[in-house]
Amino acid sequence: MIEILNSGWYTSIQDQGRMGMQEYGIPYSGAMDMNSFNWANKLLNNPLNAALLEMTIKGPKLKFHIETIIVFTGAQMDIKHNGNKASLYSPILIKKNDILECGACKEGCRTYMSVLGGLQTEKILSSRSQCNYITKSRHINKKRMLQIKKKLFELNKGVTLKSPLPSYNIKEIEVFKGPEFDLLESVTQQKIVSQTFTISHLNNRMAYQLEEKITHKLPEIWTTAVLPGTVQLTPNGTLIVLMRDAQVTGGYPRILQLSNHALNILAQKSTRDVLHFKLKSFE
Amino acid sequence: MSQGKSFLRIFQYSETSILLEFKAEPKLDLLTELVVFKNLLYSNLCGVRQITLSYKSLLLQFSNPLKKYKNLKEEILKLYSSFDSSKSIIKSKHWNIPVCYESKYASDSSILSKHLKLSRHQLIKLHTKPIYQIYFIGFLPGFLYLEGLDAKLYYPRKKSPALKVSKGAVGIGARQTGIYPNQSPGGWNIIGTSPTSMFDPNLKQPCFAKSGDTLSFYSISETTFKKIRENRIPPNFREIIL
Repeated sequence: MIEILNSGWYTSIQDQGRMGMQEYGIPYSGAMDMNSFNWANKLLNNPLNAALLEMTIKGPKLKFHIETIIVFTGAQMDIKHNGNKASLYSPILIKKNDILECGACKEGCRTYMSVLGGLQTEKILSSRSQCNYITKSRHINKKRMLQIKKKLFELNKGVTLKSPLPSYNIKEIEVFKGPEFDLLESVTQQKIVSQTFTISHLNNRMAYQLEEKITHKLPEIWTTAVLPGTVQLTPNGTLIVLMRDAQVTGGYPRILQLSNHALNILAQKSTRDVLHFKLKSFE
Repeated sequence: MSQGKSFLRIFQYSETSILLEFKAEPKLDLLTELVVFKNLLYSNLCGVRQITLSYKSLLLQFSNPLKKYKNLKEEILKLYSSFDSSKSIIKSKHWNIPVCYESKYASDSSILSKHLKLSRHQLIKLHTKPIYQIYFIGFLPGFLYLEGLDAKLYYPRKKSPALKVSKGAVGIGARQTGIYPNQSPGGWNIIGTSPTSMFDPNLKQPCFAKSGDTLSFYSISETTFKKIRENRIPPNFREIIL
């Protein structure tokens, strides 16, 4: 068991999400930065879909009631393991009654913590990802106990990632044309792919709004399917980038679609961070 | 661009998905075509993981990044030119959904009655008469997009959405009517509340209805409302052919 002494700013249980359930209107969910999610599980040789903790902005304080091994990936963070500094991308051996205190994210805004075998919390609609309307709570709360597997073997040295750690300072967000992009006037198209955008304070697991407005004459469209990474343009000119917990349908024109890589990069950005779109075509 | 059908364009939407857009108006013919073609694609297209239907399009998602988009596009076009939706028989269901229209459960009924110049009785009659077509589920888990609202009941959405619309609330927004599956913010005018559970994440099939099904509402008393909600009585249905 892992006991939540303090839940942090916004910490949730995530796995790969609920792909395949969208005909019921269920959000995709899943880890916002899939790249860091995958590394966290790979470094423990966990199943690909093992559930872990996604910590946003500031991490939680945890107490372990069982021996295990954990790994942190994603945004740099001050982590104290029984008072001693611990590093990311390297397995940490945990003994019974160990205390882990996670601080604030430094570069990037989402840090991931995997545990050996993955979190064993309840599966709802074939996923453990916490999501509004699907699970009882959208995030973990103080005093909650998270079930984990018993450690059955010793890890000799463990695997540590030696290659350069990912950088989240990248401002370039790779995009493809959305279905309604060609309906925009060419001046507007040019503007969208050449100007810098700032992430508004309205950013969460559902969507990121951008501050700079784009005036346009696009009509609303018949409600249609959207995906995480779809960039919508609202009638008042706001760009909204849909994220993992977004609604599965929308009625605003879809002007761009982020690449998977770009979606993971954007997930590490937060309020007031800047970006620009780089238009790419499918090979 | 096929013969006499409504296919408009095929478009790579993301690294792992393809969008098919149809030119026709979203009427029953198109819905039937979409449902039939969706089934055909599921059984004939290799690697397709999920197909999502909406008013005028199908979104095809694949398990892996698309390496041979051109081949896939040709295959889809070939399948499209060879199928005939008019020959297919789709088994669907018609659902009877109970609604309590009493004022306690219908916060905006009096405003609607006043502006639309309809008595409460007329309003209920106009809302319970049509057979609504279920197009797809979106917006919220278990929220059905319905077509078939009587034009006499068209009424604009609220200028600023209510922060709390209760679970089961039945509303009218512009040309649409629908049921809120959960408590949420919402901009529609509430004319009744249904005791039927529209979405239950603990069920394997969390929403009973699907694209191509139909639905109608019937008026119930507060006593019946309570009985259905407390006992979680599922809605009645009958088999139909789309």
